[in-house]
Amino acid sequence: MLKEYTVTYRSDNVYENWVHDAYWQFLILPLENTTQELLDTDFSNSIHAINQFSINGFGFNTIKVHPKKRFKQISFEAIFKVLKSENKEIKNVSESENKKSLEEINTLEFKINFERFLKSTRLTLLPKLETPLFQFNTNASLFENLKLLNNWVHVFLKYSPGVTDITTTLDKVLLQKSGVCQDFAHLFCAVCRKNGIPSRYVSGYLNHESGYLGDSQMHAWTEAYLPHYGWLGFDPTNNVLTNSNHIKVSHGKDFNDCSPLKGVVYSQGTHKTSHSVVVKSQQQQIQQ
Amino acid sequence: MSNIENQIFSSYQRNPDLYDEIYDGEGNIKDIYQKLFDIYGGHSIQDYINLNSKAKASFFNQGITFQVYGEDNVQEKIFPFDLFPRIIDTEEWEIIEQGSIQRAKALNLFLWDIYHDKKILKDKIVPLELITSSANYLDQMNGVNPPGGIYNHISGTDIIKHKDGKYYVLEDNIRCPSGVSYVICNRTALKRALFGVFNHYQTHTVTDYAENLLEQLESVKPKGVDIPNCVVITPGMYNSAFYEHSYLAKTMGVELVEGRDLFVENDFVYMKTIKGPQKVDVIYRRIDDAFLDPLEFRPDSALGVPGLFSAYKKGNVTLANAPGTGVADDKAVYTYMPEIIKYYLDEEPILNNVHTYHCSRPDELEYVLANIPELVIKPVDEAGGYGISIGNRLSEKEIEEVRKQVKENPRKYVAQPIMSLSVHPTYIDDSESFEQRHVDLRTFTILGKDKEFVLKGGLTRVALKKGNLIVNSSQGGGSKDTWVLKKQ
Repeated sequence: MLKEYTVTYRSDNVYENWVHDAYWQFLILPLENTTQELLDTDFSNSIHAINQFSINGFGFNTIKVHPKKRFKQISFEAIFKVLKSENKEIKNVSESENKKSLEEINTLEFKINFERFLKSTRLTLLPKLETPLFQFNTNASLFENLKLLNNWVHVFLKYSPGVTDITTTLDKVLLQKSGVCQDFAHLFCAVCRKNGIPSRYVSGYLNHESGYLGDSQMHAWTEAYLPHYGWLGFDPTNNVLTNSNHIKVSHGKDFNDCSPLKGVVYSQGTHKTSHSVVVKSQQQQIQQ
Repeated sequence: MSNIENQIFSSYQRNPDLYDEIYDGEGNIKDIYQKLFDIYGGHSIQDYINLNSKAKASFFNQGITFQVYGEDNVQEKIFPFDLFPRIIDTEEWEIIEQGSIQRAKALNLFLWDIYHDKKILKDKIVPLELITSSANYLDQMNGVNPPGGIYNHISGTDIIKHKDGKYYVLEDNIRCPSGVSYVICNRTALKRALFGVFNHYQTHTVTDYAENLLEQLESVKPKGVDIPNCVVITPGMYNSAFYEHSYLAKTMGVELVEGRDLFVENDFVYMKTIKGPQKVDVIYRRIDDAFLDPLEFRPDSALGVPGLFSAYKKGNVTLANAPGTGVADDKAVYTYMPEIIKYYLDEEPILNNVHTYHCSRPDELEYVLANIPELVIKPVDEAGGYGISIGNRLSEKEIEEVRKQVKENPRKYVAQPIMSLSVHPTYIDDSESFEQRHVDLRTFTILGKDKEFVLKGGLTRVALKKGNLIVNSSQGGGSKDTWVLKKQ
């Protein structure tokens, strides 16, 4: 089944003093892949600066803005139309297939090819603990273990906006047992990698009408690599596999690779920035 | 003329345990030094003192100065220059030159490999941990093809002569090696002070460095560019090597810029000029990876250019050296150099490597912990001679401290036997006489598209403090003009 979405991303920035020079990089464009098609992109800003379509260091499409005049206030608005389909179904894996996958994961070749998503970063570093947080069940398949992990993260952390920020490390998250979507994603990635399974942090949009947890900003989830399937999406905040309600933008080792907005602003004094995301599916718009 | 009659060398004390560059094993002056020795012997020590102070003044007036970080009152210092040159004969130079090229080429192939297929890891020549645990490995460089296939356009190889008379490499510097401007300025200063000595020797010139560097930078221009516009980017006048940045820009005849002089528009780099924006194609960058682009790396960098890395990734601008070369500059990678050379070039290393113990390997760690007094302990990721402990110079208490540090963080340290750097007569201000001082040699190797060049000379650095082995300028080292003799 196909769903058509309209995603509206907004960022408002107000500065105390004149800004004489600024560069912004937006990593907010929905990705094009087998389940996503970007039908239309409309990006505008309040001071009519030119948009430059570019890439970031990892090759994801970005929009860059470099205004040519001074300003104290600037708003950005992006409207994307996306056609989204369901993931290909994951079939039950036979015992021998699962065994083959496990063997593959333990080869040096595999560890080298996936080293980027197997190493821990500052944000996905697990503190040293006497007993492991979550242990993989050797009798269950890789896929079942990942589902169990997804469930464990979901139950272990309480979703509470405002208790963490984008620099919060896992030792603090584990201590307070609460956080937001990026903390759920970081914890999932950390445990995965500790068990030799490549996993990556994903940034994207969540269909807010789906009833899933996630605030009115960009959402974060994860992907883990199963040799017999490929990259498979898990949303530990909601304890589900990703589906047609998840619109992917980018992936990386952790939040730092996926930051939706990076900017260099030459100005003095304080500033206020706010972001908002609204995702609507076409079908529901028609009903209104 | 015998040694005793030579008045400025009359008080020279030769320690027979050390390898003296100007004497042979029997205590006779080597042939290549004889003429020089005679000429210098014709001067009185007072002449020499006068010449020496003139040379110093000349350095200061040219602004050839540097700063030492980490001192309370930072001040501009001149890099102490010694008027007695070091001579390298043709045969020895061939070894150094071929060895430097061999290492630079092997490192370039290594960098290509670890940012592409990673075959050397899959063939288990170099452990995967070396890459994953290196802070200088840039994920963003995976799959990037730098123009001309060159990563380490400029390499600085630190070479010593051990008491066995053989050359050993201590370090390959392939991030932003500095010092080449001193090589050229030392030559100028010596010519000004003692022009006559050059009449007796056929010495290779060192002033062709800038033209070779420019030719190399132009050879790695981005695709589709006809006549490339090259610039040198500097962190600014407060950087310890600022003199060198301005010197190289000036002698190449290209612009010296800071980050704020450049901007990126639609993934092309432009320089702000009074005639409007001018496109830039090749950047000889003297700023570290982390500061290149605040949108991609350290967001607080005020030295870089926002958007520069995207322009690089799209192939619209060349950066020399390429981002991410630092991973091969790691002291842990150094220890695999013989294997790396063999793997990519199928050759035996021309220059020796110093045997290295990896503290990350349990059995080698055990050896290191038990033998600290006989070893040099180095952190793998510090430049400029910082953090090095020389075992036989440490007190009991200091040894205990080093042992604790290594035990706590074994991956951070490697250890090597204490090498005995060769010594060379050096004029010492305090005693107003010539004394033996340890020296090393930094060669400068340029790799371009189908082009390789080693500056025939290099920087001989002198550890001025008596008995000191660390020659870095930041640690109180000086330097000498270095002559490479032409084939007779």
